[in-house]
Amino acid sequence: MLKKNKLAIFGLIILSTLVLLAIFAPVFAPFDPNAILEDHIASPSMKHIFGTDDLGRDLLSRLLYGGRVSLSVAVIAVAVSLTIGILFGCLSGYYGGILDEVIMRFTDIMLSFPTIFLILAIQSVLTPSIINVMAVIGATSWMGIARLVRGEFLALKEREFVEAARAIGCSDLRIIFRHILPNSLPPVIVAGTLGMAGAILTESALSFLGLGVQPPMASWGNMLMDSQSYLLDAPWMAVMPGLVIVLTVLSLYFVGEGLREGLNPKE
Amino acid sequence: MSKFIIRRLVQLIPLLIGISLITFFVMHMAPGDPTSLFADPNIKPEELSRIRANWGLDKPVIVQYFVWLKNAAKLDFGYSYISGKPVIEEIFERLPATVLLMSVSFFLILLISIPVGVISAVRKGSLFDNLFTVLSFVFMSIPSFWLALIFMMVFSLKLEWFPPFGNLILPCAVMVISGLAGITRYQRASMLEVLGQEYIKVARAKGLPENIIIFKHALRNSLIPIVTLLGLSLPDLFGGAFIIETIFAWPGMGRLGVSAVFSRNYPVIMGITVLTALLIVIGNLLADIGYAMVDPRIRYAEKK
Amino acid sequence: MIKTIIRALLITILSTGIVFALDYEPNGRLIMSLGGEISVINPILSTDTTSSAIEGVIFTGLVKVDKNLNFIPDLAKSWTISKNGKVWTFKLRRDVTWHDGEPFTAEDVKFTFDTILNKKVNSVRRGDYIIDGEPIVFRVVDRHTIKAILPKPFSPFLTSASMGILPKHILEGKELDMSGFNRRPVGTGPFKFVEYKAGDHVLVKRNPDYYDGAPKLKEILFKIIPDENTALVALKSGDIDETGIPPKDFHPIKHVNLYKYDALLYTYLGFNLKSPKFSDIKVRQALSYAVNRKQLIGLVLRGLAVPAYSPCSPVSWAYSDDVHKYEYDPKKANALLKEAGVKNLEFTVLVNHGSKEREKAATILQQQFEKIGVKMNIRVLEWSALLKVINARKDPKDFDAVIIGWSTGVDPDSYSIWHSSQYPTGLNFIGYDNPKVDRMLDAGRREQYKSDRKEIYAAMYKQITNDAPYIFLWYPKVLAGVRDRVGGLSEPGPTGLFLNIEEVYIKK
Repeated sequence: MLKKNKLAIFGLIILSTLVLLAIFAPVFAPFDPNAILEDHIASPSMKHIFGTDDLGRDLLSRLLYGGRVSLSVAVIAVAVSLTIGILFGCLSGYYGGILDEVIMRFTDIMLSFPTIFLILAIQSVLTPSIINVMAVIGATSWMGIARLVRGEFLALKEREFVEAARAIGCSDLRIIFRHILPNSLPPVIVAGTLGMAGAILTESALSFLGLGVQPPMASWGNMLMDSQSYLLDAPWMAVMPGLVIVLTVLSLYFVGEGLREGLNPKE
Repeated sequence: MSKFIIRRLVQLIPLLIGISLITFFVMHMAPGDPTSLFADPNIKPEELSRIRANWGLDKPVIVQYFVWLKNAAKLDFGYSYISGKPVIEEIFERLPATVLLMSVSFFLILLISIPVGVISAVRKGSLFDNLFTVLSFVFMSIPSFWLALIFMMVFSLKLEWFPPFGNLILPCAVMVISGLAGITRYQRASMLEVLGQEYIKVARAKGLPENIIIFKHALRNSLIPIVTLLGLSLPDLFGGAFIIETIFAWPGMGRLGVSAVFSRNYPVIMGITVLTALLIVIGNLLADIGYAMVDPRIRYAEKK
Repeated sequence: MIKTIIRALLITILSTGIVFALDYEPNGRLIMSLGGEISVINPILSTDTTSSAIEGVIFTGLVKVDKNLNFIPDLAKSWTISKNGKVWTFKLRRDVTWHDGEPFTAEDVKFTFDTILNKKVNSVRRGDYIIDGEPIVFRVVDRHTIKAILPKPFSPFLTSASMGILPKHILEGKELDMSGFNRRPVGTGPFKFVEYKAGDHVLVKRNPDYYDGAPKLKEILFKIIPDENTALVALKSGDIDETGIPPKDFHPIKHVNLYKYDALLYTYLGFNLKSPKFSDIKVRQALSYAVNRKQLIGLVLRGLAVPAYSPCSPVSWAYSDDVHKYEYDPKKANALLKEAGVKNLEFTVLVNHGSKEREKAATILQQQFEKIGVKMNIRVLEWSALLKVINARKDPKDFDAVIIGWSTGVDPDSYSIWHSSQYPTGLNFIGYDNPKVDRMLDAGRREQYKSDRKEIYAAMYKQITNDAPYIFLWYPKVLAGVRDRVGGLSEPGPTGLFLNIEEVYIKK
C-alpha cells in the first residue's frame, strides 16, 4: 500500500515538473524553437543539450514548446471525451429502456466509423489546427468510456447499496452521481489515463498524416514524425520526444493508480 | 435470447442507413473531389468537368446519395473511380491481407495479455506485477509507426533476419507489442475489481481452494469488460493498421481506405464504411451475447 | 536411340555453351519499386506516375523519346508533315504483333485516338488532341499508314503521338473505364503482363517477339512500397533493385550504384497575381531578392539541386540563361519594399502535405522573409484540397501564394501555364496576363523549326522573369540507387535510367 503511494507521488512529481516546464517554456528554452541556426543535425553538446534537428533548430527548446502543445491537446481531448462518455454511459446504463437504445445506437454509429477515417474525413473538411485536433480526438474517443460506464452501471445498479439508497428515497440524480458513479470510476480513471496516452499517440499519428499540428509549430508528435527519416543518422531527434512521451504516460499511470486506490469504495 | 438477436439484426438496417448517410455527406463536404487528384498538370479543366459529369458528380448531393442507396440495396456498390474495378472486388481483394495480420496479432495479444493480466492481479504488488506494469506502459507509449521503423532498421537492415516486406512476422510483432499493454491493463484492473468483491470473499470464507476461486469464478467475471473491448477493437481492423501497412508495404484494407479518403474515391469509401459498420454491429452483437452468457446477472435481468 | 542421345547431348552442350557465352543472366528478374498505388494499367486513362511506369514496358506508341529528348520512330517507322503543317502522315512498321499474337495495324491507332476523343470515356488526355476547340481527325490510309489531320499547325503534336496504342480487336465495343483490360493489359511493348496483385505488385515477362529485339530480362517485378524509408532499407538489403533516394541518404551504399541526374522539373513559389498584396511588381521582386537559394537548397536538399531562375529546365533544348535573375540581395529587397511603400506585409502560403521538401522549404522561406519584415504563414493542405483551391473557377482565387512544382513535358510549349486565356480555368492559376508573352506562346506553337522556336522562347523567358510572377526556387536532381547486379542501364538523364528497358540485364 505504501509502495503504491510512493509511486503515485513519484508520478505526480514527474508530471508536475513536465507541466511546469511546459507552461514556463519561454523561460526555460535557450533558443527560439523555430529559429534556424547554424549547425543542423548536431549531436547533443554543451551548446545544444539535446542536439539540433534537420533544419538546425534546437531540440530542447522545441521539446519544451512542443510539450505545451502536446499536453494541452491530451488534456482537453480527454476532458471532452470523458464528459461525453460519462454522460452517455450514466444515462444509458441507469435508465435503460429507450434512452439506452437510442444512446447505444448512436454510440454504435460512432463506433462503426474506423477512428482514423472519421478523423481524416473531419480534418479534410476543417483546416487542421490545434483546436480542432483536440476537438476531433475528444469527439471520436468517448465511445469506449460510454460503454464502460454503461457496463459498470448495468452491473452495479442491481446491487444492494443502490436498492438501499432507493428505499431511502434518494432521487435518481443523487443515486447516479453520489452512489453509482463513484463506484464505477476506477476503470474509468484507468481509461482516462490511457485516454491521455492515446490522445498523445493519436496526435502523433495525425501529424504523420499531416493533419495534426501544423509546421513550424512543434508538438511531440510532429517532432517524432520529422525524426522518422533520421533514425539512423540522428537518433537523438527521435529519442527525446519518445522518451518524454513515455515519461508522461508512465507518470499518468502512477497517478491514476494512486487515485484508483484512493477512490476504492471499500476503504 | 433469439428474440434479442433478431431484434438487433433488424436494428441493423436503420443503423447502416444512418452511417452511410453521415459518411456520404461528410465526404462530400470535404473540399476537392476525385478529379482533383488527377496529378498530371497538363490536364485541361474542361476534361475534368466532363469526367465529373460522367460520374454523376454534378448532381445535388442528396440525389447522389439516393442513387447510391438504391444500388447498395441491390448489393451493387459501384465502381472505384481510381481503378474502375467493382468496389466489392476491390475491397475483398485487400481484405484477406488485413484479416490475416489482424487475427494473428489479436490471437497473440490475447494469448499473452490475459494470463499476464490475471497473474499481475493475483500477485498484486509483486516483482512480476510491477515489472509487467512498467513494461506495459512503456510499450503503450511507443507510437506504433516509430516502433515499426526501429524494427525494420534493426531486424531487416542490421541483422537481416527478415526482409522489409512480404513477411508477416515484423508487422505482427509491432501490432502485438503496441496492442498488448492496453488489454493487459484492462484485464488486470478488471480482475482486481472482481477479486475484491463480496462473493469472492464469501467463496474464500467457504474454504474453496484458491485455484478454483481464481479460474472458475473470478476469471469468468473479469472477462466481461474484455469482451466489450474486443467488440470495440474491430474498427481498428481497417484504420489502425494503416500506418503499419504503409511502412511494411502490406497490401491491406487500411491503406486502401485511407488512400480512398485522400483521393475522394467515394464508392470505395462508402463500400468500406458499410462493410465496417456491418462487422462492428455483428461484433458488438457477439460481444453482448458473450456478455450475457458470461455474466449470469445480466442474463437474468434480460429475462425479467 | 543413339541418334536421340546424340541429339540430346548436342542440345545440352549448345545451350550450356550459349549460357556460358552470355554475359548476363538469361532468366534475370529485375525488381523495381513503385511509390504508390496503381490506378489502371492503361495509358489513355491513368494519370499517375506509378501506373505509367508499368505502361511504359507494356505499351508502345507511334514515336518515343531518345536520351537527348528527340522524338524517334517507334511503332511508326517514319513520318512526314505536309507543307501547310496540318497533315501528318505516319508509316507504320509491318512486323509488330500484339502480345496475344494478333497483328498490329493502323486500325488500332485510329481506334486508340478515337477512344480518347470519345466524350463518354473518362480520358483526361482528350484535351491534348483538341486544338482551339477542334479535334484532330485520324484517317486510316491503308493497313500500315495513318494520317493525322490537325485543324492548324501545331508543333507539340509529336508529344501526343507518343501515346501508348491500345488493341482494337480486344477493346472495340467495350466500356473502357471499367474494363477488366485495365488490370490484364495487352500491348505491343517489350514485356507482357503476367499478374497483378492489388496493392502489392505487378509482374511482367519478356516478350520474345518484340519488334526491336527480345529483352534481355526474363521478368520485371514492380513492387509497391509506399514508404520511402522502407524502400531504402529494401534497396540496401537487396530485396529490390532500384529506388529513388532522399537527399539526406545519398551517400555510398554497398553493392549499389548511385546516380544523380537532371530532369524536366522545377519547384517554385507562385504569387496570386490577382491579389492586391502582390499586384505591385516591386513587392514580388523584393520577395524574390530575399530568397537565399543556397541556404534553402543546402538545408532542404543537401545541396543536391540547382538554383532556378527561369521557367525552363537547363536540360531542355529551349533553355536560355539570358533571363532576369533575382540573386540573393536582402538590401535590394528592403529598398524595393520601401519604394513600394509596403510595411508589415503578411500572407499565407499553401503547401501540399506529402512533400517534406516543400514543407521544409516553406519553413526556411518563412525565416528568410522575416528578415525583411515580411510575415509568411504556412498552411499545409491535403493534395486534393490544395488542387481544389488553385483550380477553382473563380476570380480572384482563394489563396495568396503556393509552393508547388511543374514537371514540364518534352516539348517546351508552356501555353497552359502562361497564356492569359488559361485563367481562371487552366494551369495559369496565378492569373498571369502579358499580351507580349501570349503572342510568343502562340508563335512558338506555330513555328516548325527548333531554331526559330528557341529564339522565341528565349525572349519569352526573359519577359516572364522580368515580371516576377513566380519565385523560381530550384531544379531538383533525380537521385536514384540501383543494385550493382543490374547492367545495361541508359545514360542518366531526363529520360531516366531504364529508357531502353530491353537492354537492361542482370549480371551473372
